[in-house]
Amino acid sequence: MDLDYHALAPEIVVAATILLVLGLDVALPRRRKYWTAFAGVVGLTLAAVPLVTLALGGGPGARSMLGGGYVVDDFALVLKAVFIAGGYLVLLMSVSYIESDRYYQGEYYLLLLTSILGSLIMASSRDLITVFVGLELVTGPLFLLAGWRKGDARSNEASLKFFILGVLSTAVLLYGMSFLYGLTGSVTFEGIRTAGAGLLDSGAFRLAVLFTLIGFGFKITAVPFHFWAPDTYEGAPTPVTAYLSVGSKAAGFVGLLLLCYRAFPSVTEIWGPALWVLAALSMTLGNLTALRQDNIVRMLAYSSIAQGGFILVPFAAAAVTNDPLVIQEAASATIVYVIIYAFMNLGAFAVVIEGARRTGTSMIDGWAGMWRYAPRLAVLGAVFFFSLAGIPPLAGWYAKFAMFLAILRPGNPWTAALAVIAAVNAVIALVYYARVGKTMWMDPLPDGASDGERTARPMSGALALALGISVIFVILAGVLPFQLAGVFAEAAKVVTAGI
Amino acid sequence: MTFSDWLAEPVNWAFLALALPMTVAAVRVVTSRNVVHAALFLVLTLAASAGLFILLSAEFVAWVLVLVYIGAVIVLFLFGIMITRAPIGRETDLSHAGRWPAALASLAVLALTLWLITAVSGQVEGFDGPLPAVGVATDSAILGEGFIMRYLIPFEAVGFILLAALIGGITLARKDLTPAEEEEAERV
Repeated sequence: MDLDYHALAPEIVVAATILLVLGLDVALPRRRKYWTAFAGVVGLTLAAVPLVTLALGGGPGARSMLGGGYVVDDFALVLKAVFIAGGYLVLLMSVSYIESDRYYQGEYYLLLLTSILGSLIMASSRDLITVFVGLELVTGPLFLLAGWRKGDARSNEASLKFFILGVLSTAVLLYGMSFLYGLTGSVTFEGIRTAGAGLLDSGAFRLAVLFTLIGFGFKITAVPFHFWAPDTYEGAPTPVTAYLSVGSKAAGFVGLLLLCYRAFPSVTEIWGPALWVLAALSMTLGNLTALRQDNIVRMLAYSSIAQGGFILVPFAAAAVTNDPLVIQEAASATIVYVIIYAFMNLGAFAVVIEGARRTGTSMIDGWAGMWRYAPRLAVLGAVFFFSLAGIPPLAGWYAKFAMFLAILRPGNPWTAALAVIAAVNAVIALVYYARVGKTMWMDPLPDGASDGERTARPMSGALALALGISVIFVILAGVLPFQLAGVFAEAAKVVTAGI
Repeated sequence: MTFSDWLAEPVNWAFLALALPMTVAAVRVVTSRNVVHAALFLVLTLAASAGLFILLSAEFVAWVLVLVYIGAVIVLFLFGIMITRAPIGRETDLSHAGRWPAALASLAVLALTLWLITAVSGQVEGFDGPLPAVGVATDSAILGEGFIMRYLIPFEAVGFILLAALIGGITLARKDLTPAEEEEAERV
């Protein structure tokens, strides 16, 4: 056995935390159940420590184990850091939300941590079996968490829709993967890449690649595989929605990055046009539908579909070129966008949780004049929504800048067309993000609302911490983006190596 | 190879003996008007597919199919029907209104699969000679070793999926206590 316990330490710590939470949940009396959240937060913090020691002491060599099926390299480390940070923020956001009602707290944190463990495994997976099991570990607990508000019919509907479409997508994905294995005789990405070069004319291989992409299309809620997302996002408890729109989506993108760049570089003429179409449809339909939403959670659901389209854009650039530097830049743009999106979207959801608690509604109109009674929350809301729109100096501008740079680099008419579509959509997106800002800052208070009533309840410390971390990241990454991008370029170099 | 050549192979007789009843049973699973009958036809379908796996020398998969699907899942179905006092017997509203589009879609999938399999046979990497494993049962020791050596991490991950599914499923399915009952339970 060639197990490298140092490289596996983050997974082992999270797994131990899951078991600890399970034990604590049994042992603790009902009013102390929030200790399980505390255990989860501490466990995730501890899990981040080996990431730092691995990044500092690892050197350039990747730590590969289990026959090359599980690799801890710069790509894996960067994404694991994002998954742990995102999970950490969601845990902090959940504390007061979950405590405020009669939810099952211990089980909730257990499932959330299990999903985080799955995303850690996905970042390191380098074969079909590990990537598939990792993806199921990410989404499996989320089917259940989406229905956590048991008494609410919309939450039940959210869970059921997500489950049925999730199972369908899993079946399609698995079908594609089984053909990949049957055709190439290999489950590792390296093996599929080598054998795939000899299967260029094989229609079956192309179909297998397409099936795999469709399977991941469901996970990243790309149009036309997005139908489940708005209802699920609206019905699920809001912290779960935040995790769905960031954690499970990022895990889907990790799988897509690994498959496209490591397993299928020989068939770019298949996945290039397919992802071009998905990107264009997701951006356009996501944004146009988001324009018409009155409910802020539904708006964020469609906006996250559109953002997923932006994240897909650089794939189309990588598909039309053979220049390794351009491909690397495209991969780097995707990774940077996923990371910045994770922080700004989690921040936006934290604002939504607090805003909904203050105003008692998630309708955008109900938030009118928020700056009068919650000025700090209104400022934070403006920061996150304008960052999502891509306004400098907030981090979102750099994500869009890197994306446009990557898509314009190949100088191909198709990529140029996609750049135009993306530019139009960036403007449309600004309209609805800015509308939330306008409602909070410029509209008068809704009738019958008194200032005193709304200021009475203070924000919970954990949620304030989550907001603080995300706002610091969003501002720092927006002011010093190139330092940040340097770190991610290493990760992109690793994932595109050998094309 | 002509059809009579194909029939001359005894193993293909076994294939026909399994595949034909399997197809009929699979159709009856969907068309049967009685839920219990549908479940029993599913048993037949699964048993025949287990037989097909034995023909492919994959006996471990075959027995897993028998143990897990026939032994546990279908029995659970039947218990579920009996315990929940769901109507047993003929039912008229089992058919979905969209059954014809659904039938068309499943025929399209069948055509696609058939095309895939005929396209694939002949160009499979490394299988141009005689199939390597014909007549030799896959040693389950190899599979077991794979689980705890090469595929250790996915194996452990599956353990966590099951843990999460079990705990989450019970939490969602159990009946919530009212606040008064909860206080009662706390005191005991």
